[in-house]
Amino acid sequence: MDAPRRPDPREGPAGLRRLLEDDPADLYENAPCGYFSALPDGQVVKANRTFCEWTGRPVGELIGLRFQEMLSVGGRVFYETHLAPLLRMQGMVREVALDVVRADGSLLPCLLNAVEVRDDRGAPLLVRATVFEATSRRRYERALLAAQRAAAESERRARTLQQVVSEVSAAASARDVAEVIVRRSREAVGASGAALWLTVERRASTRHEPSVPPLELVAADAIPADLLEAMESAALGGAELVRDGGVHMVPLGAGLRAVWPGLAAAMADAGQEALVVVPVDADSRHLGALVLLLGVTGDSGLIDLAAPGDRGTLAQADADLLATVGRQAGQALERVRLYEETARAAERSAFLLDAARLMASAGDVVETAERLAELAVPRLADLCVIDLTTERGLTRPAARHGDPARRELVTELEQQHLPHRGAPHPSVRAMELGRTVWIHEVTDRWLAEVTADPRHLEIARELELVNMVCVPLVAAGRTLGVVTLCSDRRRGPFSPADVEVAEQLALQVSQVVDKAQRLELETRTSHTLQGNLLPPAPPPVPGLAAAVRYLPASRGADVGGDFYDVVPLPSGQVALAVGDVVGHDITAAAVMGQLRSVYRALLSDRPPPSAVIDKLQAGWSLLGLQRMATALFAVLDPATGRLRIASAGHLPPVLVAGGRAQLLDVRPSRMLGAPPAPGPAEEWAGVLAPGATLLLYTDGLVESRDADIDRGLAALLEAAERAGTSDPDELCDRLLAELASGVRADDVALLAITRCARH
Amino acid sequence: MIARNRVRVSGVPDGRPMVFAHGFGCDQEMWRLVVPAFETDHRVVLFDYVGSGRSDLSAYDPVRYGSLEGYAADVVEICRELDLDDVVLVGHSVSAMIGVLAAARAPELFGALVMVGPSPRYVDNGDYVGGFSREDIAALLESLDSNHLGWSAAMAPVIMGNPDRPELTAELTNSFCRTDPDIARQFARVTFLSDNRADLPGVRVPTLVLQCTADAIAPEAVGRYVHEHVPGSVYTLLSATGHCPHLSAPAETTAAIRAFLG
Repeated sequence: MDAPRRPDPREGPAGLRRLLEDDPADLYENAPCGYFSALPDGQVVKANRTFCEWTGRPVGELIGLRFQEMLSVGGRVFYETHLAPLLRMQGMVREVALDVVRADGSLLPCLLNAVEVRDDRGAPLLVRATVFEATSRRRYERALLAAQRAAAESERRARTLQQVVSEVSAAASARDVAEVIVRRSREAVGASGAALWLTVERRASTRHEPSVPPLELVAADAIPADLLEAMESAALGGAELVRDGGVHMVPLGAGLRAVWPGLAAAMADAGQEALVVVPVDADSRHLGALVLLLGVTGDSGLIDLAAPGDRGTLAQADADLLATVGRQAGQALERVRLYEETARAAERSAFLLDAARLMASAGDVVETAERLAELAVPRLADLCVIDLTTERGLTRPAARHGDPARRELVTELEQQHLPHRGAPHPSVRAMELGRTVWIHEVTDRWLAEVTADPRHLEIARELELVNMVCVPLVAAGRTLGVVTLCSDRRRGPFSPADVEVAEQLALQVSQVVDKAQRLELETRTSHTLQGNLLPPAPPPVPGLAAAVRYLPASRGADVGGDFYDVVPLPSGQVALAVGDVVGHDITAAAVMGQLRSVYRALLSDRPPPSAVIDKLQAGWSLLGLQRMATALFAVLDPATGRLRIASAGHLPPVLVAGGRAQLLDVRPSRMLGAPPAPGPAEEWAGVLAPGATLLLYTDGLVESRDADIDRGLAALLEAAERAGTSDPDELCDRLLAELASGVRADDVALLAITRCARH
Repeated sequence: MIARNRVRVSGVPDGRPMVFAHGFGCDQEMWRLVVPAFETDHRVVLFDYVGSGRSDLSAYDPVRYGSLEGYAADVVEICRELDLDDVVLVGHSVSAMIGVLAAARAPELFGALVMVGPSPRYVDNGDYVGGFSREDIAALLESLDSNHLGWSAAMAPVIMGNPDRPELTAELTNSFCRTDPDIARQFARVTFLSDNRADLPGVRVPTLVLQCTADAIAPEAVGRYVHEHVPGSVYTLLSATGHCPHLSAPAETTAAIRAFLG
């Protein structure tokens, strides 16, 4: 089926055909688009009227002008870098968006199509171009572009937020969170720098302490040091800005200059034009602030095109983004703090457990202090100093630093700088107040006030302390000393929980120190008492040479009731005694003292040795002595050498004569204080030859834990023979050196008496 | 990396290596009219910067290419990969400065620099005349955005429908002078916002400054500035106009380079 023939539209209205057969030149000149032709270098050689009208330039003005000179700057660069090369390479371009500058300077947005006319060899001859006005299209494009950009910006903000959320969720510390927030927020709004301050938790503080800094710099990014310092010093007052919760723009202007002139000057120097203060909140609690700087960025190394004064602006959407980032930061910080608290609590428990174990096994007070200080650094503090109260005043048994590089400083501190009563030093104050003193802020001025001398101050400065906690050691109302813990710049301030641990630790230490101090005091008292109860040296007796020795037991707590006595009697005879009260404590020493007094009193009747024993046994219950004792009593006549000895359960004496040593067979009666034997005590009688030595001793000399008494006695005899001397002093020294030089479990009393050879 | 930068080697294998580096705008095709003249006795290396032409767009790293140093590092890598030495680096426009940076990075690789339409800084600064005010460059960067909107949408069909040059059609289908708009914008920023004046006195190799007449992008004053600050450089003013003498006057350009290389 044939399609119906369509009528030729040219056969329509009269005159149409005439118009259509019009001059092609008229069509060229008045076409609905601009035409021009140019040489390969862009010089216009021909242009139609439409183009002339659109550009507002008569054709005479256009001819000879380079087309690229009619373009905006962007268009000119585009022409040189894209359009001209394309024409050369592919012979044509189409729909290139350009702005042609009209004669009056206004812009004609247009689309350009062009072809390059070439000769036979491909060399360019001419460029023919058509230009279409594209005002509406360009407007539409711009709107589209703006929408596209807005979408991209919105996506970028969403991405920033997403990154922040995912990165802070992986952060393990407040510092990590802060670093993420600072970096991401800075990138997100193109800020030149950013820093985050957090409020330092307020803690219970005692009077007179320096003020607590309310803000602490946690992270900073791309801020020059001097500007950051200026921001630091303004941060305190800036805290006010975050109170109402909004994001604040603070332009570098008269207001800023008036309130913080230093900061304003530093910003101006660094080419910064505004501050943005963003609150960091969690559940409406203010944790701190994020501060961004707007201005010249030093990031890319590229030329910054923004004109001065144009950089200190922030889009509302960016401000909203920052507000959200601030809230995210707050939540993340809360989470991290909780996590850190938990971790630290576990660590503290472990620490206190270790401390308790250590205390349980510690020896004397100094050792306890040393081991405690070693435990405390670096787990609890960077520096631990322990001062203890003694009768000589304060001593400093331990000062430890966690950093090996600083140990020498601390050693100096240990040796030289003991605090004294009434000093402003917090250790002294803690003892005087009887409670913890916590210095939250160690300032240089404060250090100057509390240190004792310039060198002390110098050391304190070098230690870079930021926090100091002094906990007194108190037991049963007595102040035993003080534990001082310090943290330095690297560790940062103590938390209230740290201080609690320090207090618990101090409590443990107090108990151990108290116990140890009591024990030491008792020991010392016993020894002093015992020492005072014994005559320092035997009196000179004509015809005799005598030596006495008393050695306390090695272990501090053990005190013996050993004694010896040498008493010249009016008759010219000499009474000798050696004894050992049962027990190793102050009671034993006291009983010994009493026993000696009673013995001396008995001597006035010049009783024979056996009578001394009988009388003591008879009166024992009246004397009220609480301990039993062994003793050996003797009477020696220096002129004749006659010797009588009686023993109350005591070890036999040794006779050293002619290079031989032997035990004298003194038959012991029962111990003093034991139910007495039915008969009187037996007495040994003999003669001490000139040059012979009588040796009286207590069991400490012959008894040891790992050998029986017979071997001890054999060793004593051998040693006495080997000594080969009749000088009593020399003999005593040799015997003690050989038999009692090691660790002694018991006291040793030794009495040697030699009858001079010329008698 | 050969693929990353679409490196193409031609000419005489043991001839002196000539590396041609295109400028901001198109790609290695820009050299098509001068390359044949050197292929007869040189080893000719052509490449596209990452983000341009048919380079591997996925290799574009905004940080690495956030300054000219990243591009210079690529040039050095290419020369090392091909084991070149005594290289004549012919750099157009921004590549003249990339060449300066590359030669500073690896002085052992380069024997001569040919700078075609160089500019160490486009933005005027005090007494220095770069040819553009701050506002000009801001407008340029702004116009790049709007151009690309029409440009990228319109170009591909145009190129594909080029009936009288079928050999071009195949070659240019999706690459010719087309770049990802974002990368082009970044490259334009790096190109027009860099300041390499301080690097010029450090050039230690024989250098030819090829300056066009009436170059709207690199005016004669700028070419002379480069010549005065690159020690011992040779300055040749071409009668060619515009910014791309290698396209508009290949014979004159070739002759000038040949004269310089001797």
